[in-house]
Amino acid sequence: MSQDNKQKEVSGSQMSFQQLIFELQQYWSGHGCTIAQPYDMEMGAGTFHPATFLRSIGPEPWRAAYVQPCRRPTDGRYGENPNRLQHYYQFQVLLKPSPDNIQQLYLDSLKAIGVDTETHDIRFVEDNWESPTLGAWGLGWEVWLDGMEISQFTYFQQVGGLDCKPVTGEMTYGLERIAMCLQNCSNIFDLVWTQNGEHTVTYGDIYHQNEVEMSRYNFELADTDSLFSWFDTCEQESNKLIEAGLPIPAYEMTMKASHTFNLLDARSAISVTERQRYILRVRTLSRAIAQAFFESREKLGFPLLKQ
Amino acid sequence: MSKTQNLLIEIGTEELPPKSLKKLATAFKEEVCKSLNEQELKFSDCLWYATPRRLSILIHDLETTQEDKEQQRRGPAVSAAFDEDGKATRATEGFAKSCGIEVDQLERLETDKGSWLAFNAKVKGKETTELIAEIIESALGRLPIAKRMRWGDSDVEFVRPIKWVLILFGNVPIDCEIMGVSSGKESYGHRFHHPDSITIKDPASYLETLKQEANVLADYDVRRNLIETQVKEIAKSNNGQAVIDSDLLDEVTSLVEWPVSFSGEFNSDFLKLPKEVLISSMQDHQKYFPVIDKQGNLLPYFISVANIESKDPALIKSGNERVIQPRLSDAAFFWERDLKHGLANHIDSLKKVVYQKQLGSLHDKSERLQKTVTSLANSLSVDANTAKRAAELSLCDLLTDMVSEFPALQGTMGRYYAEADGEDATVAIALEEYYQPRFAGDKLPATPLGQLLALSEKIDSLVGIFSIGKAPTGDKDPFGLRRSAIGLLRIIIECELDIDLKELISLAASNYPKELDANKCIDNVYQFLLERLRRYYLDEGVSPDSFESVLAINTSKPLDFHHRLTAVTEFRKLAEAESLAAANKRISNILKKSDISDIKKVNDKLLSEDSELTLAKSLSEYQIRLAPMMKNRDYKSALTELAGLRETVDSFFDNVMVNCDDEAIKINRLALLSNLSALFLLTADISKLQS
Repeated sequence: MSQDNKQKEVSGSQMSFQQLIFELQQYWSGHGCTIAQPYDMEMGAGTFHPATFLRSIGPEPWRAAYVQPCRRPTDGRYGENPNRLQHYYQFQVLLKPSPDNIQQLYLDSLKAIGVDTETHDIRFVEDNWESPTLGAWGLGWEVWLDGMEISQFTYFQQVGGLDCKPVTGEMTYGLERIAMCLQNCSNIFDLVWTQNGEHTVTYGDIYHQNEVEMSRYNFELADTDSLFSWFDTCEQESNKLIEAGLPIPAYEMTMKASHTFNLLDARSAISVTERQRYILRVRTLSRAIAQAFFESREKLGFPLLKQ
Repeated sequence: MSKTQNLLIEIGTEELPPKSLKKLATAFKEEVCKSLNEQELKFSDCLWYATPRRLSILIHDLETTQEDKEQQRRGPAVSAAFDEDGKATRATEGFAKSCGIEVDQLERLETDKGSWLAFNAKVKGKETTELIAEIIESALGRLPIAKRMRWGDSDVEFVRPIKWVLILFGNVPIDCEIMGVSSGKESYGHRFHHPDSITIKDPASYLETLKQEANVLADYDVRRNLIETQVKEIAKSNNGQAVIDSDLLDEVTSLVEWPVSFSGEFNSDFLKLPKEVLISSMQDHQKYFPVIDKQGNLLPYFISVANIESKDPALIKSGNERVIQPRLSDAAFFWERDLKHGLANHIDSLKKVVYQKQLGSLHDKSERLQKTVTSLANSLSVDANTAKRAAELSLCDLLTDMVSEFPALQGTMGRYYAEADGEDATVAIALEEYYQPRFAGDKLPATPLGQLLALSEKIDSLVGIFSIGKAPTGDKDPFGLRRSAIGLLRIIIECELDIDLKELISLAASNYPKELDANKCIDNVYQFLLERLRRYYLDEGVSPDSFESVLAINTSKPLDFHHRLTAVTEFRKLAEAESLAAANKRISNILKKSDISDIKKVNDKLLSEDSELTLAKSLSEYQIRLAPMMKNRDYKSALTELAGLRETVDSFFDNVMVNCDDEAIKINRLALLSNLSALFLLTADISKLQS
C-alpha cells in the first residue's frame, strides 16, 4: 500500500512542463472552456489577452482557458537567478459568470495535475488584485501550495472602469512555479520541459540564452528615444481607432503602449512622478476601449447571450 | 419567564480576509445582539466563533416569542370629542374606526391635564423564527467591510461569496434566505479532511461535532491558544524560543481551521543578514514564526502552521523550505549591493524622487530638515553638525534595494548602512529612531538626536501638507498627519522637551520657499495640534473639563501644558476641589457681570467684615508663598497649597455681600475676588471644572 503511494508520488514528480499544460487544457476543456491560443503580442500578464480583458466586459457569458507568455522586462536577471525570468508563462482560466463551485473546480484541476490535496497544504490567502493600467480591480486570493504562491484567483469587480455584471472569475496559474513544485526542482532552468526516453529537454535548453540576451536588451540596449516616441505613436493611434469605433485594433495599440512603457521602466528612463502619469495615460485608453467595446457588442445585440 | 431555546447561526463562506476575521466575527455578534435587544427578545449570553470559512454565533436561552404588549393610543380630548348634543364628532368616529372598534368601546384616560379618549391595544408578540432572517441579514449588511464584492450573476454584496447558511433554533433548523442563499440543515467540515456536509444536532453540540467529526476548531480563541502552544513546544524542541508577534498569531489563526505546526530550516549563512530582514521575510511574506536562542540571536529555523494533517508532512516541510530559500537569497543580494553602494551616495539621487509635487523632492525635504535641526540642536543639547549629518542621511535608505523590497524596514536599514559606512554612532541610531513612534503606543526615540530628527520631520510634514491645502478631513488623512501630530506631541511631552509649538511651527514654515506662503497655515497647524492634544489626553482617560481648564491658560508649550494638567488632575482628588471649583465659577460669573476687567489692587481701608479681612490677608500670604512654585512650574504644589483656602473662601461667600449698595466697597470686594481668581489662574482655570 505504502509502496503504491510512493510510486504515484514519483510519477507525479515527473510531470513535464508541457504535460502540465496538456493536463490543464484537457481539464478545463472538459469544463466547457474554449481553449484559446496565446495572443501574438507582448504583454505583462495573461489578463491583457483580449479573451480576458475584453470578454469580461458586458453581459455575455464566456468560458475560456489558454497559455499566455508574459513579459516583464524589469524582472530579467540575465539567466542568473534560479527563480526570476523576464519571459514566463501563465495559464489563464476565465469563467463568466463565476459558478458557485468555482473554488472546487480549481482544486479539482490541481488534482488533475497530480497535486494530492490530502498531502499538500493548500490555502486561499486574501489578495486583492488591481491593475492600474487596465482600470481594473477584483477581490480574491493567492493560492498557496506548501507556502508557495502558485495561482492568483480573482473575482473581477471592475474592468476598464466598468462594473462587471456578471462577475468573471479569473484563475491564473504560475506554470513554472507549479512545475517546480511537481518536479521537486529548485532551479527554473532545470525544469524538464519534455522527456523522450533518454532525451530530455529542459526549460534552460529553450530559454536560458533568451533570458541572457533579452536582459541585455531590456536593461542596456533598448533605445529610449525611439521607445518614448513609439509610446506616443501608439497612444495617438489608439485614440484615433477609438474615434473610428474600432476597439479591437485600438486595444492592440494600447497593449503596445503598455509594453513600451515597461521597457522604458526597465531602462530606468521614467522618473517616479512621470511614472504615475504614464500609467494614467494607458488607463485612459483602457477605459475608452472598454466603453467602445461594450457599445460595439451592444450594437451586435450581445450575440453570445443568445446561445 | 417565557420559553427559551439556544440559537446557532453559521454563515459559511469562501476564505475570509485573515486580517479582519476577528473584527468581522465580533461585529456580527454585536450587531445581532443589538437587533435582538431592539426586538425585545431576551437571551442569557452570546458567543462568537470564526474560521477562514465561517462566521458563527451561539446565543443561549433566547426567547422563542416576543412578549405580548399593551399599546395605548390616545384619541381626541373628551372635551372636544362630542358635540353639544353628546354626539361623537367625525374625528372621534374616525379614531374609533382606526382602532377597529365603536366609539362607546373607547376607554377614558384621566390625566392632570384633562381626560382623553383612548384605546388599549394588545399587540401579539412575534415568533423569534419570523424575525431572525431579517436580524441576520441586516447584521451582515452592517459589518465593517472595507470592500464588498459581487460574484456570479447576483447583485448581493458581501466580503466573500456565501456558500451555506445554517440556523438552528433548539434542534430545529430555520428555513429562510440570507443574502440570496437558502438556509439548510447542515454545516460543512474542513475543506480537505471533511468536504462533505455534516449534521449538527443542536446548538450546544456545534463546537464538539465540528471538532470530533469534521476537523474544524471553530472556536477562535481555542485555536489561537493551540497554535501558540504548538509553536512554543516546537521551538523548545529546537532548543530555541519562538518569536510570536500577536498580530501574526491572529493572522495565522484566521488562516487555518485545523492547525498543524511544524518547523523548517534555512541555510545558516543567511544569519549574517540583519535580523530584522530575516524576521520580515519570515513573518510578512510567509507568516512564519522566527526562532531565537537564549541570547536573542536568530536560529536558522522557522515555524509554520499548516491547515492539514498531511499524509506526508515531510513534503509540506520541504515545500516551505524551498520558498524561503530564494527569498533570503534575494535579501542577501540586496544587502550586499546596498553595502557596496554606500548610504551617503544616495544623497544626490534624492533629487530625483518627488516627496510631493508642490513640496519638492526628498532632497528638498532633507535640506529643510537640516535647517530645522540646526536651529533646534542647541536647545536639545545636541551637536549641530552631527544633527545636520543625520538629517542629510535621514531619507537615503529609502533608495536602497532592501527598503524597496521591505518598506517596513525604512529607518532600520538606515541604521545598519550608516553603521557599516562608519558614520557617527549617534547618527546611525537617530536614523532608526527618526520613524518612531511608528504606531499608537510604539516606543519613542531614546536619544536626543533621534528625538530632534523625529520631531523635525513631523513638523515639516504637518506645515508642508497644510500649506498646500491637504489637511486631514473626516476620515481622509492620506499623509498620516494625525499620527505625525500625536507622535510629535508624545515626543515633546514624554521626552520632556521644553519646546514651544508656535515657535516650532514658525521655524518649519520659514524653511519652505516663500512662494509656498507656509506662514498662512501656522494658526491652522497650531489648532490642529491642540485638537490632537485633546485626543491624546482623552484617550489617556483625562476628563474633558480638566483639559479645558488648562486650555484656557493658552500655553503653547506642550510640556508646560502637561505639568498644569497633571496638577489639575491631582487637585481634583482633593476634598476641597469641588467647592473651590464652584467658588471660582461663581467668581468668574460675578466678575463677568461687573465692569472689572483687569485686576485692581485691594484697598485695605475699605475692608470691614471679618471674612473679607481674613481673605485679603490670606491672599497676600499666598501670593508670596506661590511665587517660587511658579518659578519652578510646580503647579501641583501650587494647587495643593491653594486647596487650603477653601474655608476662607466659603466663609467669605457665606458672610459677605459682594454686590452691596456702597459702590466703593463693592468695587473693592470685586478686586478681592479677582485677586483670588488670579491665584488659581496661575495654573489653570478651575472654574471650568464640572462637579
